Parts: sequence; C-alpha cells; structure tokens
Amino acid sequence: MVVVGPSGSGKSTMLRCINRLESITSGELTVNGIQVNDRKADINEVRRDIGMVFQHFNLYPHMKVIDNITLAPVKVLGTPKQEAAETAMYYLEKVGIADKAKAYPSQLSGGQQQRVAIARGLAMKPKIMLFDEPTSALDPEMVGEVLDVMKALAREGMTMVVVTHEMGFAREVADRVVFMDQGQILEESAPEEFFGYPREERLKTFLGRLLSH
Amino acid sequence: MDFSLLSDNIGLFMQGFMNTIWASLLGLAGSFILGTIIAVFRMTRSRPLVWFGTAYVEFFRNIPLLLVVFLFYLGLPSLGITLSGFASGTMGLAVYTSSFIAEAIRAGIMAVPKGQTEAARSSGLTYVQTMFYVILPQAIKLVIPPLSNQFINLVKNSSILSIVAGFDLMYYGDIVATETFDTINTYLFVALFYLIITLPLSYGSRVLERKLARHD
Repeated sequence: MVVVGPSGSGKSTMLRCINRLESITSGELTVNGIQVNDRKADINEVRRDIGMVFQHFNLYPHMKVIDNITLAPVKVLGTPKQEAAETAMYYLEKVGIADKAKAYPSQLSGGQQQRVAIARGLAMKPKIMLFDEPTSALDPEMVGEVLDVMKALAREGMTMVVVTHEMGFAREVADRVVFMDQGQILEESAPEEFFGYPREERLKTFLGRLLSH
Repeated sequence: MDFSLLSDNIGLFMQGFMNTIWASLLGLAGSFILGTIIAVFRMTRSRPLVWFGTAYVEFFRNIPLLLVVFLFYLGLPSLGITLSGFASGTMGLAVYTSSFIAEAIRAGIMAVPKGQTEAARSSGLTYVQTMFYVILPQAIKLVIPPLSNQFINLVKNSSILSIVAGFDLMYYGDIVATETFDTINTYLFVALFYLIITLPLSYGSRVLERKLARHD
C-alpha cells in the first residue's frame, strides 16, 4: 500500500500512529488484533512485528552496521548473538551491502544507510514494514537503489505501507494507493484506477500538478 | 624544593596519595552511576521521578560540599549508621558531584536526535533498553568535556576528606607540615601529587574524546 498526498496532509502521522510513535488522541486503531489506542496495550509486543524505515535513516551512529541490525533481535526477541549475526548478514546480502557489515554508518552513503535501515527492520522478521518517506532525504542518484530493494521486497510478498512522493514507485508496485489531504483519506484504489481515473477533484489537481512538470 | 622532606616522609605521602586515589576512583564511579540515574529520572515522563531528580540536583548542587560530607559523617550516626571518615567523605563527594554530572548527562541526552529514540522504540526496545544501548552511549560521548571537568573537580575536592579524618593526601600533608614546620615545601609536594592524578585525567579525556569522535 502506498500513501501519497501533499506535505502536511497527515501521511506520516497516520503511519506513525500504526506503531504509536504518535500518541493516538481519539478513535480506535487495531493492529494485528491488538487495540493500539488502548493505553494499557503492550506496545512493545505490537512493535516487534512492525518494521519501520525513516526519512533520515536513524541508524545508531555509535554502532557498526552489523550491530545496528542485531540489537533489536538480541534484546527484544532474545535471539542468540551468533544467530542474529547470521540473519543480519543474510539481509545485508539481500540489500546488497554485505561488505559494509563492519563499517560505521557515517562511512556509508545515504542510499547505503537507508538500505541498512531496511535490513535492520527486516531482521526482526516483521509482519509488516512501514516506510516514512524513505527516499526524500537521498541524493537523486541514490533513490533508485533504495526503491529497487523495496520493489524486490514487495514482489516477495512483504506487507508494506509506504509514504512517498515517488509516483512511479506507487504506480509500479502498489496494490492499493491511498490519497490523503488535510488529515483525511480522500481516495483509495488500485494504481491503474488511482492514476488513470481519479474520482476526487482534489486528487485530480494533485496529480495534474505532478504531471505538468 | 627540599627533596629530603619528601624522602623523609615518603611513607606518609604515599599513604595519603593512595587513599586519595581510592577516594577519587570510588567517587568517580559512584558519581557517574548516580548522576546517570538521576539524569534519566529527569528525562522520564513519570512526574514523581522527575520531581525526585530535580529535588536531588537542586539540593546537592546548591549546598557546600563540606555540608554534604558532614551530612554523611555527622548526620548518619544519628540514624544509627556510623561511617569512617574515608567512607563518609567519599560518599559525600560522590553524591555532591553526581548532581553536576546529572546535569551534564541530561544535556547530552537532550542533544541526541529524537529519531534515535524513535528508531529504537519502533523496533520493540523498551524505554530502559533504548536509554542504555542507544541514547546514553551517544549522550555521554557528547558531554565528555564537561564530564572530565567534573571528574577533575572531584579529585581536587577529595581534599575535603582531611577535615573528617579521611587519611587522604591533604590529611597527611597537614601532619607532615605540622611535624616539619616546613609548610611551603610540604604543600608544594602535596600539589605535585594532585597533579600526578589530575593531569593524566585531562589528557586521557582528550584522547578519549578524539577516539570516540572518529566515527562521527
């Protein structure tokens, strides 16, 4: 699922509500059968099944790439160190930067850092992955490598919610595209319909502006 | 400088020197652990913890060190706990210094980008795990200069032990001075002994700072 919409429309906020990084002030939200808006819900239980990738990567700068990835599996799931390291290498391989396992985040390019962040999320073997504008902070030539990793993930059947401004990506890999504006979900449909036959006036203007340049 | 004064009294000097090193090491470890806990208290969302942390810092950092030490040396016996001069002096030192260290570390915690907490919490780590593995290592690295200031102060402030019979360097310095009547030379040597501890401390903190900054 890909979420698009103008800046400030609440896309990220909606995404961050799913794992309650944003506190939920009203309404109900059920994730994985757990009522997340309930203050008594064990939020850590919910979060271990939800991977998240941020706009600014948020890798831990004081840890090597490999330790960035194994921290949560070891501390949250209780995976033995050795096994966690093997899993980490598997996912680093998958995102194409196994050779950087011993490097520190600051030694990597933005695109590489974001791919590490994706591997870090995957290492928890989550049921769903959240992406909060994963390519917005990247140099243009690095956007492709990150999107490629995400496309491969989607093809393998990973459930993903992606907030992005990359319309090409939405069109190509989304099962459903959601349009948000002013905190509301205005339209939700399959990509062909979404881009080919938008219903909402607001969405038509939005798409029109994107296509006009 | 009269080096015969040093060689004649080397036993006393060394005893004091070793005790000062011990008091400094214990005080350093104690104040660091206490200060970190108090800093974390003040960063939680729990009102009682924040209140306690704030009260702790404001109390101990705003009264003279001598009074804090007296609290342990003279105050605790009225509760039935009697400590040696060395123990109460070192505790007072640790508690007093921890209030300053708490403030330094709190500043460090606030300087770590919010995204770090979000990344850690979103992966299922608890608040305490996030603090311990992700935030504090970065926060402490940021505040090494003010921390080393506090540790140097702690070493120098350990001379307060001489007032509660803590058998530290200053205590034996006083003894040597009264026995030899050569106060100037005695205290010059005492100063040298303090420098033997504090100079490597400042140098070490600079090396550490540089070493940890390598990956930024």
